[in-house]
Amino acid sequence: MAEEFNADGMLDMYLFENEQLLEQLQEMVLEQKDADCFDEDSINEIFRTMHTIKGSSGIMMFDNITAVSHKLEDVFYYLRESHPENVPHLELVEHVLAVSDFISNEMEKIRGGDPADGDSSGIIAELDKFLEKIKNGATEGGAELPPENVHVEPKQFYIAPVATSESRFYKIYLTFFPETEMANVHAYKTVYALKEIAEDLLYSPEDIISDEGSADLILKEGFRILLQAQCGEEEIRNLIGIGYDIKQVDVFECKAEEFLQGFDFGTQDVQIDLDSSVEEIEVKAQAAATEEESKEAPAPAPKPKPQLAPGDFVIKSKEPGKHKTLAKDKAKMEKTSFISVNVSKMDQLMDLIGELVISESVVLQNPDLKVPGLNLNSFNKAAAQLSKISTDLQNVIMSMRMVPLTNTFQKMNRIVFDVSRKLGKDIEFEMIGENTEVDKNIIEHISDPLMHLVRNAVDHGIETNEERVDSGKPDKGKVTLSARTEAGKVWISVEDNGKGLDREKILAKARKQGLLDENKPDSAYSDKEVFQFITLPGFSTNEQITEYSGRGVGMDVVIQNIQSIGGMLDIDSAAGIGSVMSLKIPLTLAIIDGIVMETGNCSFVMETGVIKEFVRVKSDMMIQEPNGEEFIMIRGECFPVLRLGKWYGLKEYQESVENGMMLILEVEDKKVCLFVDRLIGEQEIVVKPIPSYIKKVKGLSGCTQLGDGSIALILDPGGLIE
Amino acid sequence: MGETSELMKRIEEPKAASSEHDAQKGKYMTFKSGNEYFGLKIQYVNEIIQFQAITAIPETEDYIKGLINLRGKVIPVIDVRLRFKQEPFEYNDRTCIIVINVKSTVVGLIVEKIAEVVEIKEENILPPPTIGRVDKAQQKYVYGIGKVGDAVKLLLDPDKLLNDEDLSVAEQVNDMNVEEE
Repeated sequence: MAEEFNADGMLDMYLFENEQLLEQLQEMVLEQKDADCFDEDSINEIFRTMHTIKGSSGIMMFDNITAVSHKLEDVFYYLRESHPENVPHLELVEHVLAVSDFISNEMEKIRGGDPADGDSSGIIAELDKFLEKIKNGATEGGAELPPENVHVEPKQFYIAPVATSESRFYKIYLTFFPETEMANVHAYKTVYALKEIAEDLLYSPEDIISDEGSADLILKEGFRILLQAQCGEEEIRNLIGIGYDIKQVDVFECKAEEFLQGFDFGTQDVQIDLDSSVEEIEVKAQAAATEEESKEAPAPAPKPKPQLAPGDFVIKSKEPGKHKTLAKDKAKMEKTSFISVNVSKMDQLMDLIGELVISESVVLQNPDLKVPGLNLNSFNKAAAQLSKISTDLQNVIMSMRMVPLTNTFQKMNRIVFDVSRKLGKDIEFEMIGENTEVDKNIIEHISDPLMHLVRNAVDHGIETNEERVDSGKPDKGKVTLSARTEAGKVWISVEDNGKGLDREKILAKARKQGLLDENKPDSAYSDKEVFQFITLPGFSTNEQITEYSGRGVGMDVVIQNIQSIGGMLDIDSAAGIGSVMSLKIPLTLAIIDGIVMETGNCSFVMETGVIKEFVRVKSDMMIQEPNGEEFIMIRGECFPVLRLGKWYGLKEYQESVENGMMLILEVEDKKVCLFVDRLIGEQEIVVKPIPSYIKKVKGLSGCTQLGDGSIALILDPGGLIE
Repeated sequence: MGETSELMKRIEEPKAASSEHDAQKGKYMTFKSGNEYFGLKIQYVNEIIQFQAITAIPETEDYIKGLINLRGKVIPVIDVRLRFKQEPFEYNDRTCIIVINVKSTVVGLIVEKIAEVVEIKEENILPPPTIGRVDKAQQKYVYGIGKVGDAVKLLLDPDKLLNDEDLSVAEQVNDMNVEEE
């Protein structure tokens, strides 16, 4: 059935929209997880989100998603209508999250081209149970149960849309061929097509997605649509498009008053004053709905009619009305101030600006300008202006790629919530500086490592409630996730007030694995050195360590991920007080300041930040170890020496240290001297990846184009030091 | 947005490829390497460029000569002769680089001499001989032998040319199966 739709664009839209809805949903739910219950707005919002997902999943034929969202919608419908007391809030939060997980999961499958085949029955059963529970809790007070939502609830949408003078109103009557199968789906297709132009749209029978019985009804009585739009009849007819299964389309233009009357199609002479209050219109809409329902209800079991106490009613009619308008205003604002741009176009723009920066340096450093005696005054002025503009341009494009960490942090919030609930630990989660902005590419890379760190903090770092009480700590564990920018880097730290790392255990383990120098006593290792052991692959999987001090699982993966984007992990911990894991990552990967140098006949670039000093050295400063390793004494400090030419086996590189140049590099508190033939200069470089066809070479992190168009390799100081 | 555009790309790509395929069916770009003439299906060929300065990359296989800057795009280049374990040759002004695109990997092939574009009909393509004068290292990359008049062209499977691990002699002996296109 699904292939009858034009699936490509619709599927894209479907996934994109629902993904965003779910994200907002999660964020909202987590924000209020510590409250006693959801506030009115959130309940409405969740209800609406589920309704939207249900609708769109229905049309895309993802039945399991439809079913699950429908069930959750039911729950929230109940919450909205009867305001039950004593709702176990945390349980509710878990249910919402479970549903949102389920849907995300299914959408992931759909995106991968797999069928959405997840089993929804478990979740539905859970929700049923939950709904039953809160219902039982609420009815004791004698409050009436609200009606099943299916038929009544869409009425809320009748009121909100504002008719403008251009709006025209139509009654559309579709007749299907009697042999049509699943006429409800065909009807929905029409509705979907009309939605594009509709300012307001309602149809009868209403529940055409989940109620199979509606198909028969449509065949028997036809499908009726009320449409408010700013277009002519012709356009509507085109959109409906006779051709599939529709026998006849009747379109009548009508007046606004008639339109508001709903589906009575002029048989009743009800006058509705447009100036009447929202409540009044709702009353009438309700009345019409009730009547209609009694006329056409196809379901075998008669549904309870809405019998609303006056108090309930006011709230009910006001809320949806108010909300709808709010949502509309917001959507309008966003439309004028945001457009969504394909990321690949952004990347293209980024590439082009990179090109521009390079060609700029080609022009400004052109050898033709070096002719002696040229008067370059005005050229230099113009050049300065050009440089300024291109720098601005770079800044703008960089800022466009910057995304706040909020979403990533919210995900962590979720993890803390899940894990702590599972482990029965009482944990408070705090986020600081979640608005810090980071390049989009980098965000993608830090999400996983952060997740590991946060999970470790909750799982292994924070003690159980009993342990905490025993050691006299405050009952609540606390995990703090913070972000800040400093010196062109972003620092993200995960801090917990748990038991901290156990230095002795780690040392013992390291000694056992032969990682320590036999002759060095334990005390010779600094805390930092010791803690770095837990990031070694293999070290982490050892059960003994994880059992006592934790911080094992996947730490080597964390490190790898972080290093792949040029970041670092700093571990600090104090026994009994807690630990801090700090990630230091570059703000952006795209453009960096670099020093260009040459060795042999190759050009290399090194990020300026890691170079501490350039030194000309004398050969008597060199110290040769018998095994070939070299060291150098500079001002009383001894550094290991790395000759770039020798390291890469290049040809024709400078042998004598006196003719070359020493660079003192500092990475992760380690210092090393890099020996190169000569320096070329400083340049802003646009980092490009080395084509994936070429295997990863140790110590190279990318390549770039130099001013003369040739390519230089970017050195990765971390890789060199290893 | 990123994901959705990926999705779109996936949907669109096969269509584009197939229409191009029709127009270029049966055409081969031929070039000389060593004593043999080789042919590559033309739809893999992006363009032919003049030889230009190559930035060597340390610690890679000898046939990967390095990187070139193709109008702002950095692409790797490989020396076809070295790939076939033939004797290296001196590059000169007339040396050309064929830029090919195989499954979105763009790679430059350094070849001695570009010959011409020929059309080879399906019936003129024979499976490669299992023994004979063709060097065994080439066996893997050659999926057929095309006859053009009296001459023969060894038709290359570019995917294998780029991605196959170097074969040891033992493997070559064991793995003489012909890959059917």
